[in-house]
Amino acid sequence: MIQIDPAILSRVTKPARYTGQEWNSIVKAPESVEASFVLAFPDVYEVGLSNLGFKILYHILNSRSGVAVERAYAPWVDMEAEMRRAAVPLCTVESFRPLAEFDAIGFTLQYEMSYTNILNMLDLAGIPVLAAERGDEHPLIMAGGPCAFNAEPLADFVDFFILGEAEEAIVDVAEAVAAWKKAGKPRGKTGILEKVAAIGGVYVPAFYDVAYHGDGTVKAVAPNHAAARPTVTKRIVKDLDEAPFPTEPVVPYLDIVHDRIMLELFRGCTRGCRFCQAGVIYRPVRERRPETLLKLAQELVDSTGYSEMSLTSLSSADYSCLHDTVRQLIDRFKDQGVSVSLPSLRIDSFSIQLAQEVQQVRKSGLTFAPEAGTQRLRDVINKGVTERDLEEAVGAAFKAGWSTVKLYFMIGLPTETDEDVAGIAKLAYKVLDLYKSVTGRRGAKVTVSVSSFVPKPHTSFQWYGQNSIEELERKQRLLKSLLRDRSISFSWHDAPVSFLEAVFARGDRKVGKALLAAWRRGARFDGWSEHFRYDFWLEAFAETGIDPHFYAGRERAATELLPWDHLSAGVDKTFLAREYQRALAGDSTADCRRDQCSACGVCQGLGVNVVDWGAGA
Amino acid sequence: MARFRLEITKGEEIRYISHLDYARAIERALRRAKLPVAYSEGFNPHMKMAFASALSVGVTSDAEYLDVDMAEDLAEEALASRLKPQLPAGIVLNRSRIIVGRPAALMAVVNLATYRITLPYGAETSADGAAAAVRRFNEVASVSYVKESPKGRREIDVKQYLAEPVELRQAPDGLELAAAIRITPTGSIKPVEVLSVLTGDFGLPGRADGARINRTGLFVSDGERRLTPLEVE
Repeated sequence: MIQIDPAILSRVTKPARYTGQEWNSIVKAPESVEASFVLAFPDVYEVGLSNLGFKILYHILNSRSGVAVERAYAPWVDMEAEMRRAAVPLCTVESFRPLAEFDAIGFTLQYEMSYTNILNMLDLAGIPVLAAERGDEHPLIMAGGPCAFNAEPLADFVDFFILGEAEEAIVDVAEAVAAWKKAGKPRGKTGILEKVAAIGGVYVPAFYDVAYHGDGTVKAVAPNHAAARPTVTKRIVKDLDEAPFPTEPVVPYLDIVHDRIMLELFRGCTRGCRFCQAGVIYRPVRERRPETLLKLAQELVDSTGYSEMSLTSLSSADYSCLHDTVRQLIDRFKDQGVSVSLPSLRIDSFSIQLAQEVQQVRKSGLTFAPEAGTQRLRDVINKGVTERDLEEAVGAAFKAGWSTVKLYFMIGLPTETDEDVAGIAKLAYKVLDLYKSVTGRRGAKVTVSVSSFVPKPHTSFQWYGQNSIEELERKQRLLKSLLRDRSISFSWHDAPVSFLEAVFARGDRKVGKALLAAWRRGARFDGWSEHFRYDFWLEAFAETGIDPHFYAGRERAATELLPWDHLSAGVDKTFLAREYQRALAGDSTADCRRDQCSACGVCQGLGVNVVDWGAGA
Repeated sequence: MARFRLEITKGEEIRYISHLDYARAIERALRRAKLPVAYSEGFNPHMKMAFASALSVGVTSDAEYLDVDMAEDLAEEALASRLKPQLPAGIVLNRSRIIVGRPAALMAVVNLATYRITLPYGAETSADGAAAAVRRFNEVASVSYVKESPKGRREIDVKQYLAEPVELRQAPDGLELAAAIRITPTGSIKPVEVLSVLTGDFGLPGRADGARINRTGLFVSDGERRLTPLEVE
């Protein structure tokens, strides 16, 4: 057990990030379990503890008597400096044991720009960052989460990945590790990797060889080991209603990013926005029953004491029984001082009515995501929202008393012209005018938040060459020149960050060298603008001879073998290609949830069904 | 309707949480305990509770006081029996009682805080040096200290906030200082500030940032008698 010097804790910001003891955290005696794991979040505590996936896995693993799972987070830069100076290894916030003492460490891959934090956390734990340099005495390093669907940039560092929903796979892995330990670790690290490679959804990169063409594109990814399958397909929970849900989540002392009950209504979203990776990898839609949600909600309120409950899902307003469920939740919990909130709103007046009920009287801002400025481009990305939808929704919001509206857009989408960019400004002004015509006065506040499009693997736009940094910045300047009203505030993302996201989102195994080099130069917390050092990355690419533009800006041929083609989300590549063509033609595709099947292949391929309690149930 | 006055601790386990974090932890415990706490009116209702005095990050306490209003009548024993199982590590309910009538707010009446400051023994520790430093500090009439805050720099006299001389003793785990600090309507001084004056200006051996600070009590003092907020009528 590591005891951090009080003098260190008195010097760092938010020392409670490192001192644990939270309500509902679980500490088991190491000698009482067969296998011990760490859920390691490659970002700061307040971000990491907000993650629902880790709450679920913490609950599942700790509910097994033979398994202990603890948590670790990336220490903030001030704490890292103190730890390195005093040679304090990274430890968990439950038992304060060093990470190196555990059997396996699982990282979640939520965001490409947290990859350097993974290397940094391993290094702070005294664990070699390269998988090849780790022996039987080191913990196994595993990873999961959305970015695992292109595991290749991390193939040099991670021993194995779990693709898809890990509720069941993590138990298979825990049992395999416990059995391997009990048997005296036969054949060492290779022995356990062979065992986990047999588990559905598990990808062991060392068991695959990658061959390249002369132009640098991938020629073949082939198993080099009998335990490896040619394609690894994601795991999925067929019946979400029966799936374990964490009803006793850790309640922090610190004010974390999502400091409230998270009630997951359903998983998956089949609206089919063509830029959206989550919409592919979490297919198909599976809802929980309303009565299950009410029961879970009561247990969560009882066990946490939280005063707020957020109904989370990729698109919560699409829940088939939303209205009744929300009403029942509000009724049941209002006397207990618990409010209900909906984080993602659909752009229609029904959602406004609902938001009004949920928020009662308080009118904080409303957020809408038209994503693109013109109807033409919204059709390209299959964002099934019309200008009229937005007008009606915003108009209803203004009538209901809201005056602050936040609009999310992207620039750099396929086929985008300057007219589309200007359309963003036009829409913002339209919203301002709408307020005046609805209320008869000025005073609306519109925030236009514009991110730069990053093509993601396993989406219809996975072939698309990203706009260059220069082009993105030109479009940002154009927009800035058009948004001159004081009632409109404009924010945008740093284009070099979006560029690096694109490199690592669609990188192959070779880009891992640049990742390592950038981390060695000091890159970490790259997702935090105050710590982002583009110069480190440029130097790292130069040193390793890796051309980042090859990965970010190059339009990939339809015939090209993509670095992640052996990792399957259950959605056919032909479906994605078809969708890309439809996008370029400006054709939209209906939501398969209540309309016709668009033959993405996931239900048939994985033996799973859409579960929608409003559609005839 | 009843107002409860609680005496609770802030233990070593949660030493590094802020006062806001501490207050939130208690609110959540009260909610888990399903106690009929009264809420304020308005768009954003919050529990009607008030603390005697905020405690700094890094400081533990043997006795913090807060008043909580209940929307319904509640027996004195019911509060303890329902709240205790819901308190997180580091918060212990020492005692509580129903406050009759509408006395002045806790914050307005508590005017003295006592602290125990432990400086771990180190190579630089010298018992004689420490005793001399504390004696000099106690003897001088005034000690100027510059408080820096986001609002700016302000020079204050440390001694005006000390209700009695600082006491020094050698405890098993370090040099132990006992200080009684006045809380006045115009402000107070933090124990860590008194300590940094002692180590910085008076040559007390040891480093202020390695010290353990514990609030040993909060009182209503009339200069002669010290009563805890639970004893005040």
